[in-house]
Amino acid sequence: MDNPFDMHDKESATSSSGAFLLPADGEILEGFLCPICKCDLRTPERLTVHVEHEHSEEQDLLKSLKEIFSIARQGILLKGKKKPSQTGGSDGGAGEPMSAARFGSETGVALGSAGTANNPLLQPGNQTVGCSCEHMAYFKAVRSPRLERYAAETNKLIIRLDKLLDGLPTEPDLKKRHEQSKVPWIDGKLVKLCPTCAKSFGITRRQHHCRVCGSVMCDSCSRYLTLEEAGRLVNPTTISPGAGGALPAEPQPGAPVNESSHFRVCEHCMRLLMIRMETQDWKRERPLVKQFYETLRKERTDIEPHIGMYRRILDSLYEGDVIYRLSDASTLREKIGRSAEKLDNVSKSLQTLRATVGSREDALKKAIRLGCISYIKERMLSIPPLPVEEEIKRIQHRKRQDTERRLERERQLALEAFERLELQSGGSVDVGADRQNGSSSSSSTASTAEMTNGRYGAAVSTMDNWTGTQTGPSNTTSDPLIDQINIVKGYIRQARAALRFEEVATLERNLSELTQEFYYRQRLDTDAKPQELQ
Amino acid sequence: MNVIRAIQMYIDKMISDAGAGMKLLMMDRETISIVSMAFAQSEMLQKEVFLFERLDSVRSNEKLKYLKCIVFVRPTKDNIFLLQQELQSPKFGSYYIYFSNIIPRTDIKILAESDEGESVQDFKEIYADYLPVNPNLFSLHIPTCLQALNWNPEALERSTQGLVSVLLSFKFRPAIRYRSGSTAAQTLAKKVHETINKETALFSFRPPEDGAAPPLLLILDRRDDPITPLLNQWTYQAMVHELLTINKQRVDLSGVAGVPKDLKEVVLSTEQDEFYANNLYANFGEIATTIKVLMDEFQKKAHDQRKIESIADMKNFVETYPQFRKMSGTVTKHLVLISELSVQVGQQQLFEVSELEQEIACRADHSTQLQRVKRLVSEGKISTANALRLVLLYAMRYERHANCDTSGLLKLLQERGGRPHIAPRMLEYISTVARQELFNTVKITDAVKLTRNLIKELKGVENVYAQHECVLKGTLEEIIKGRPLDAQYPIMGNEVPFRRPPAEVIVFIVGGATYEEALAVHRYNQEGHRIVLGGTTIHNSESFIEEVLAATVGVPFKHSRSLQQFHHAPAGTA
Repeated sequence: MDNPFDMHDKESATSSSGAFLLPADGEILEGFLCPICKCDLRTPERLTVHVEHEHSEEQDLLKSLKEIFSIARQGILLKGKKKPSQTGGSDGGAGEPMSAARFGSETGVALGSAGTANNPLLQPGNQTVGCSCEHMAYFKAVRSPRLERYAAETNKLIIRLDKLLDGLPTEPDLKKRHEQSKVPWIDGKLVKLCPTCAKSFGITRRQHHCRVCGSVMCDSCSRYLTLEEAGRLVNPTTISPGAGGALPAEPQPGAPVNESSHFRVCEHCMRLLMIRMETQDWKRERPLVKQFYETLRKERTDIEPHIGMYRRILDSLYEGDVIYRLSDASTLREKIGRSAEKLDNVSKSLQTLRATVGSREDALKKAIRLGCISYIKERMLSIPPLPVEEEIKRIQHRKRQDTERRLERERQLALEAFERLELQSGGSVDVGADRQNGSSSSSSTASTAEMTNGRYGAAVSTMDNWTGTQTGPSNTTSDPLIDQINIVKGYIRQARAALRFEEVATLERNLSELTQEFYYRQRLDTDAKPQELQ
Repeated sequence: MNVIRAIQMYIDKMISDAGAGMKLLMMDRETISIVSMAFAQSEMLQKEVFLFERLDSVRSNEKLKYLKCIVFVRPTKDNIFLLQQELQSPKFGSYYIYFSNIIPRTDIKILAESDEGESVQDFKEIYADYLPVNPNLFSLHIPTCLQALNWNPEALERSTQGLVSVLLSFKFRPAIRYRSGSTAAQTLAKKVHETINKETALFSFRPPEDGAAPPLLLILDRRDDPITPLLNQWTYQAMVHELLTINKQRVDLSGVAGVPKDLKEVVLSTEQDEFYANNLYANFGEIATTIKVLMDEFQKKAHDQRKIESIADMKNFVETYPQFRKMSGTVTKHLVLISELSVQVGQQQLFEVSELEQEIACRADHSTQLQRVKRLVSEGKISTANALRLVLLYAMRYERHANCDTSGLLKLLQERGGRPHIAPRMLEYISTVARQELFNTVKITDAVKLTRNLIKELKGVENVYAQHECVLKGTLEEIIKGRPLDAQYPIMGNEVPFRRPPAEVIVFIVGGATYEEALAVHRYNQEGHRIVLGGTTIHNSESFIEEVLAATVGVPFKHSRSLQQFHHAPAGTA
């Protein structure tokens, strides 16, 4: 219910119940009015009781009143079921039941029993998500200073690396001298034990210096940073790592390495640099799995509203409404089918991506494919089949007959009410003038039109043809209404072509209001002497 | 008040907080069962959770930085340690950490200090720390909670945490009552009370408006009602548990002859299996009829499916295929279960056994009942387990009877190769309250009970297999009717007790709840009450006997000296 016209509907539905019955003094009364003595009874129950007591002779009126309320109730039940979160609001203002009545007669009928099928006590109802306690603020408070310190330290190391790499000689002795000139080395004599493994230095355990911080450690505690890695750290944008698995393998401690192509670093510096490198790589890398997955995800979010729409269109078709056409449903269905195919294909090609059997990535791919298959099966293939055209026509026909019959009956009732009113007031009320008054005041007409449109959507739309033929011969573009109608029709065509069915529904409603308005004006013009309400 | 819904909402929140993208869910031994009882794996896939791992098992070092990792674990020391290691060398791009209960601040600090790569994005406590079994039933999966008839400290800790999390997930700050005379119930009540008072910030919910009574947390003791778990049950869920054992929604059918391969283990979940949800509490007769209807419906559909002649038929088939598959799975599963149940009922002569069980539980008629027990135990048609149950019931009921012949029955049982040493242990297990009140139901002073019994006798027996009513049912009735509770169920702390009945009740049974009690709760809930039942575990007779044995290890024999010859298990048995 998210089109702007519903806003009016709520007001107009009630006010029109007043306007329909007795806008005698030109003023529009709202609420649960007694059709005979015009007093506002405020609640449907009181109104029914009032009519029962005061106007017991008018049995048919009472009957129709009760009917309206039972429809209203159905509508409320229906609403409650559709939006369980709103259960409290359904018995709100006086306007609500009437608009609900409209809602009920539009979509209702088959849903009569739905309200009682489920035991409300067993429904989750208003259960809200339980308590939770946020710790991220504290977590960050502890983490941030440490991270900042590390970041500063790492940055310092990287600046040094930059200096080291700048004009680095390949010859080992020159390289060492170059390294020592850029980073001050700690005096080895001050250090008796390796700070990492706490073993004493000697002839067999020689001292080595970390090239970036200058501290001392033994050979087995040394780590090695390749020149290529160092280059990448210093200048992350130039060299891009190979997709996915190009993360540097953990250097083997104490492995025989060629001094010329590495920097010897201590464990601490290596750790800081590796963390930096990982985040750098991760931010840049866009592995295929992720790309494929994003395609899948996008496809799914795109098609999801269409599936809902398709179901709504079918419901509406089965209700006999004429807002949507069967062809709409079938194009939408085709679109969903195509999308299902695409999802299937993408997830299949995702699965064929290379990954070692039994690895996490392999499992991930399988799970994505599985999820995709079950989504296609449960959401897309399970959509109900298209209805048969004849069946829809039959339903529409039956609905039209129903509404016409009801319209006729209510007109009859209204007529009787007017006659009685006339008798009571001694014929002082000129019905014709009143009629005219009502329709010349645009707000009142509009509300009548909307009321009729809302409640008797099918009946109104059948007049669509009629207006078409009527306007045909006397087609003068000077009438702004006709222009408007044509424009709206154009919009509908466009919206339909673009599969924007939400808009189609709104516009269709719009259109029927316009034609309704047009119809009344025509009649006012042609009927020089307006008759009583027919 | 739906415990399954509560857990589902927590998990949903957890996953949606992590945002869009591929996700991995990291759990521990306990939280993995919590999650699996709320959602099926296929549902999790639709929420973009594709991988599931356990923090506490050996895992590969493969890094997938494009994955989001949702960590949902209990706040144990081991988990903190493992998580600390994980954060020091993160395998995934970002971490969303959710602890299932209250976590000490020092532990948060430890983790924050390990997060050198700044990979943690969210850190919360959510209180999904219990296993949702049915909408109205939760379990903590502690198979045995007592040692020497007192709390096992670990079980006490876990039970306190479990109850606190139940309360927080419903946003209750309850009045706590416990069964007087039960030290276990009192200790737990005290612990929960202490936690609530310590965590005032968490429990600062608005008190109910217009002075309504606060929710009630009632802590009971299994030792006060040892009868219920020993009786054969005839409602679907209880029967499956009694005869086939439900373990965290799973039923192991591998031992059953002629079961199709894909049904060696079946899942019974009220969330995913509509038939099961509708028939949890249906009795054996009803369920047989229902499955028949389901079968017919299925066959009709299957028949329709078979005659595929035109392309339209084919299309129709493909369109309805998913539902068809689903239905066929359900039908086969329940058919297998029900046929196995009926085989067992026949083999073990359960109708006869159950009738006698109910007789002993509800009516005093010593000589006749002794004769019948003797006959059944000695004839050898019924299994030793059922024979043991009959003897246990007899032993408890006629403990003080002048002509009590428990030792004679135990001799018969021993001859048949049963386990007679359980009887004295059972007599030590049951509480004083149970000993005094369980079978002497009619005391002249207790007018309410007297009339209730009279009415029951006048009305006659509707169903001989369901005469027995669990103690919980009476207790709940007293609460609902707003009768004074203070004598039997004192209130913890110095809160002023409310006279009006509470709108919400959480009952927790130390020593395990049963599905029969869940049924009693369900009946009240159908009348519009809001009651949730929980237990340290969900018992059937077998698991209950194990619990009794574990609870009475090393307890001196005070009440069963006359059964001295049976005090020790015969060599070679447990």
